Amino acid sequence: MSASEWFREDRLPHIYCTGCGNGTVINCTLAAVEEMGWKRDETVFVSGIGCSSRAPGYILTDSLHTTHGRALAFATGVKMARPEFNVVVFTGDGDLAAIGGNHFIHACRRNVDMTVVCMNNQIYGMTGGQGSPTTPPGAISTTTPYGASEPAFDLAELAVAAGANYVARWTSYHVKELTKAVTTGMQTPGLAFVEVRTQCPTNYGRHNKLRTVPAMIEHIRSHAMLVEKYNRLTAEGKPIPEGTFTVGELVRRSRPAMGVRR
Amino acid sequence: MKLVIDESRCKGCNLCVLVCPYGIFAEGTELNSRGIVSPVLDRPERCTNCRLQALYGRMLCGVCRMICPDQAIAWVEERPFEPHRVEVEF
Amino acid sequence: MQGNTACAEGALAAGCRFFGGYPITPSTEIAETMARRLPKAGGVFISMEDELASIAAVIGAAWTGARAMTATSGPGFSLMMENIGYAAMTETPCVVVNVQRGGPSTGQPTRAAQGDMFQCRFGSHGDYSTIALTPNSVQEMFDLTVKAFDLADRFRVPTFLMADEIVGHMRERVTIPDSVEATSPRPLAEGSLPFEANENGIPGFAPFGSGRAVHVTGLTHDERGYPDTTDPEAHDRLVRRLVTKIESARRAIADYEVMNPDAETVFVTYGAPSRTVEQVIHDRPGDSIGHLRLRVVWPFPEFALKEFPNAKVFLMPELNLGQMVREVQRHVDQPVVAIPKIGGELHTPAELVSALEEHR
Repeated sequence: MSASEWFREDRLPHIYCTGCGNGTVINCTLAAVEEMGWKRDETVFVSGIGCSSRAPGYILTDSLHTTHGRALAFATGVKMARPEFNVVVFTGDGDLAAIGGNHFIHACRRNVDMTVVCMNNQIYGMTGGQGSPTTPPGAISTTTPYGASEPAFDLAELAVAAGANYVARWTSYHVKELTKAVTTGMQTPGLAFVEVRTQCPTNYGRHNKLRTVPAMIEHIRSHAMLVEKYNRLTAEGKPIPEGTFTVGELVRRSRPAMGVRR
Repeated sequence: MKLVIDESRCKGCNLCVLVCPYGIFAEGTELNSRGIVSPVLDRPERCTNCRLQALYGRMLCGVCRMICPDQAIAWVEERPFEPHRVEVEF
Repeated sequence: MQGNTACAEGALAAGCRFFGGYPITPSTEIAETMARRLPKAGGVFISMEDELASIAAVIGAAWTGARAMTATSGPGFSLMMENIGYAAMTETPCVVVNVQRGGPSTGQPTRAAQGDMFQCRFGSHGDYSTIALTPNSVQEMFDLTVKAFDLADRFRVPTFLMADEIVGHMRERVTIPDSVEATSPRPLAEGSLPFEANENGIPGFAPFGSGRAVHVTGLTHDERGYPDTTDPEAHDRLVRRLVTKIESARRAIADYEVMNPDAETVFVTYGAPSRTVEQVIHDRPGDSIGHLRLRVVWPFPEFALKEFPNAKVFLMPELNLGQMVREVQRHVDQPVVAIPKIGGELHTPAELVSALEEHR
């Protein structure tokens, strides 16, 4: 089976806007699924509500498109009831960090054996571009017209602190690295959390002087710094440019996990 | 193998233009029937995947297809004796 | 045995193999019993982070084909409303036990009430229909739990066991059969679409892993399960079916007990207050007092009221300020008198007798 055979071809093209990074993340995740050699009837995609969460609807497996923020709780039920299933959760920053924050930290704490791919576009895209918990300070959105005044959540660090067995962060520009990270996450028993910084040209870029897709991609790419380099610079006491976020593998460990295939 | 853009899926974001290491994709200029300006292909036979995929038996490069958010890029089998211009680069 | 324990035993007997819960008085014993018994029965008990997650996990497990249940009380039930609507929309068979306590809000955690009777029917947003059962004894906590699983599977609908603190914490002798008969959802026929209903309005069930690539969504969806959120016709077709599949089966779902059908004064009860009525009838052997006791309150079996052709007045003791009494009033021409009581205690026989004498 090739990655393209995992698509519900009759539903394409999908609803995402021009240049949306979510389609790229689906590609990378399906390439990872393909690499894992998972079977269609043993794979379940789960999602909540939002742009990111429409993804399972385009994938030809059993898929559960649930309520806002609750994807991880549904996925916990699926995985605990049938540990032989491979469970992948697609979620977004609003879904995961805002309304589903409690489910997120508890899923990490339980370390349920599944892969969580978070498409973090730093905005509520589906509802038209409102500020989310990951909207960076100063960014303009429809609900932060004078610039976001709240500090943003670092989702990957949150997952590390809460106990996920594998945590990585990449961007929708780093397709090869992202695919590899998702694959590694799928191979790691326990909860694997992969945060993907994706571009939302329509609702984020438009308000923040990143109107075109290449401008948005370039902005994300240029603010990504490999975690190794970041650690080195920090150790050397050198300054880190503002707005930088780390990419790469943040943690890989083997805490006791739940719902691992028996 | 032949590189094609599925015009029924492409939304004209030009991410492929951004990532292709060979500069095969170029921003288009004409609206298609869906009202979208799809990228145009500049000498697609230069693509490594077109030339060497069959030989190596696996995907080479393929970054354009991975990043394409709309699943619009694919390689299809060429029909036998399909006419195309070949430019030899030195 | 305690009512809550009997409920857990009923679930186990019915083949429940997944329980996602969150502790809440007065339902906690159900979770405790399941935590103790489920792992040994090859099932999964998981204590979730809140009730939102409990019902979510239950729905997730139900879609893998497991019989799944959660138990809660009023405050938790309120939290579950979101995903109960989801379960109704996605036609997920699952059982929710609500051991009712005094509300609103935190209210009286350790006292009984029947204040959630409309919430279990209309609590989530939008139009849908559900099934609700009301046990009045420890034995019925067992029996109706089993029945709830069967109804959930047959009609593919979240089914509620609306107990109350009295029934949940009461101790009585229970007969537990060696085995109970369990139905399962009608499997999805080869060649039919995942949400294509039969003549009864109920689609076949293809749990995850059956190779049918079912897309389950809370969005308005077509027969394939694909979202179709803008077509008025698609929404009308789906939601109308969700309601009529339950409402049109009222007679098949109905479960009630009739005493003294010739009586002119009729008590209509469900759950714990029926016990006081039974006491009153027992204490006044010469008196002709009718009693309709509902074991299924939703869908409301209005035809059961016709079992009392001579009825001149219906009396309805409830542990709330009058909820189901509205449903009875809707369906009969005779006067219907509510005998509400809140505060956590059951009506005393004397209270019912004085109401009886006042209104007959």
